[in-house]
Amino acid sequence: MSEIVLETEGLTKYYGRTLAVDHLDLKVPKGCICGFLGRNAAGKTTAIKMMLGFLEPTVGSGAIFGCSSQNLTPAVRQRIGYVTEGHKLFGWMSIGRIGKFQRAFFPGQWDDKFFADMIEYFGLSKKQKVKSLSIGQRAQVSLALALAPNPELLIMDDPTQGLDAAIRRQFLEGMIQLIMRQGRTVLFSSHILGDVERVADRIAVIDKGVLRASCSLEQFQKAVKKVRASFIGEMPADIDIEGLLHCRRSEKELELVLVGTDEEKIQRWANISKPQKYEIVSMNLEDQFIEYTAPVNHKDLFEWE
Amino acid sequence: MAVWVQITPGSSEPIYSQVAGQISEAIAKGHLKTGDRLPAVRKLAAELVINPNTVARAYTILEQAGLVSTKTGSGTFVSDPKMITRDAADVNALAERMDNVIVRGLNLGIEAKDLAEMFKSRIAGFGKQEKDKEQKR
Repeated sequence: MSEIVLETEGLTKYYGRTLAVDHLDLKVPKGCICGFLGRNAAGKTTAIKMMLGFLEPTVGSGAIFGCSSQNLTPAVRQRIGYVTEGHKLFGWMSIGRIGKFQRAFFPGQWDDKFFADMIEYFGLSKKQKVKSLSIGQRAQVSLALALAPNPELLIMDDPTQGLDAAIRRQFLEGMIQLIMRQGRTVLFSSHILGDVERVADRIAVIDKGVLRASCSLEQFQKAVKKVRASFIGEMPADIDIEGLLHCRRSEKELELVLVGTDEEKIQRWANISKPQKYEIVSMNLEDQFIEYTAPVNHKDLFEWE
Repeated sequence: MAVWVQITPGSSEPIYSQVAGQISEAIAKGHLKTGDRLPAVRKLAAELVINPNTVARAYTILEQAGLVSTKTGSGTFVSDPKMITRDAADVNALAERMDNVIVRGLNLGIEAKDLAEMFKSRIAGFGKQEKDKEQKR
């Protein structure tokens, strides 16, 4: 695996007795766009806040560019762009003012022209007050603020939540443009799997605070499969197949969700279990994600190259 | 060269495979000819708004299939189909896929000779587009 820009070790957070993030061991290699996926309340925001040192972990640690999350120096922070969930910006500031405010945190690397061009491209004016903007416009300002310092690592917490298709596309374009520059890395969480599929080449799946997958998108897409088998006579009581995640039974049908099981093994299972017929059902990323994070019988898919 | 690739997120076909498949088809139909240069990875990624690694992955698949070759520093070019080596296994696999189509056709009640006609006209369709394109040039 190439150089790791972001790493967590046993990162854990309890809120009272509620376990929000459970021993997260995540590695994000340089040069990728990593989609951080998880259902609502899976622990994504908590994990991100701990990575950035905004929240103290109960146990464990994180590091960005080799610097501990708890003690990120200004020099390291300067290399990181962060877009908060909901695009929280100071309402009383004008767009121009907030640009100058942000610039102060990125001495020597803030691109004034880039920021001004983006604001103009979005049809906004520097004089507009943030509080007068719509959620979509505020998101656009937030995107411009994140990209103008040309960060080496961009972390975005559900940046396209509630945005229309056109503004969502601008975020995707922004990520693609950034990643084209040498050595840039993006970590973003999202619930829109079609967006993730477009721009991410890596995904990390968190479920109930536990990291369940961290691998290339391609590997995930290849690994998660569904087999539907129908029987005339009796159905097998035990399903003996490697990589079985879920098994659903109906009267004459078995539905198996498999992880990392190749077609040869499926064939071998069919030869023994003798269904009348079976098929491998094609799934898109969303179906795969839903099946993968559906409760019961956890199977993990890890790969540290 | 204009980009004709159309991405459909949410499909059960991964995006790298969509890109590779559509370029293969364009080569088969003669929209892309021997020696034509594919768009640069970064350019195509920006236009389609997809990860550059996904485009690179698609190009690698095409290269492994012998459809294109990459010359360091100058780009990826469509190979001469005459130069593509195919072994018996490739031809067998193709014959098996044709069998699937034939079985389906016969099951639908289409007679063998009509199926053969269908094959012919579909193939002619591929060639025709190629000729039209040549005439335009």
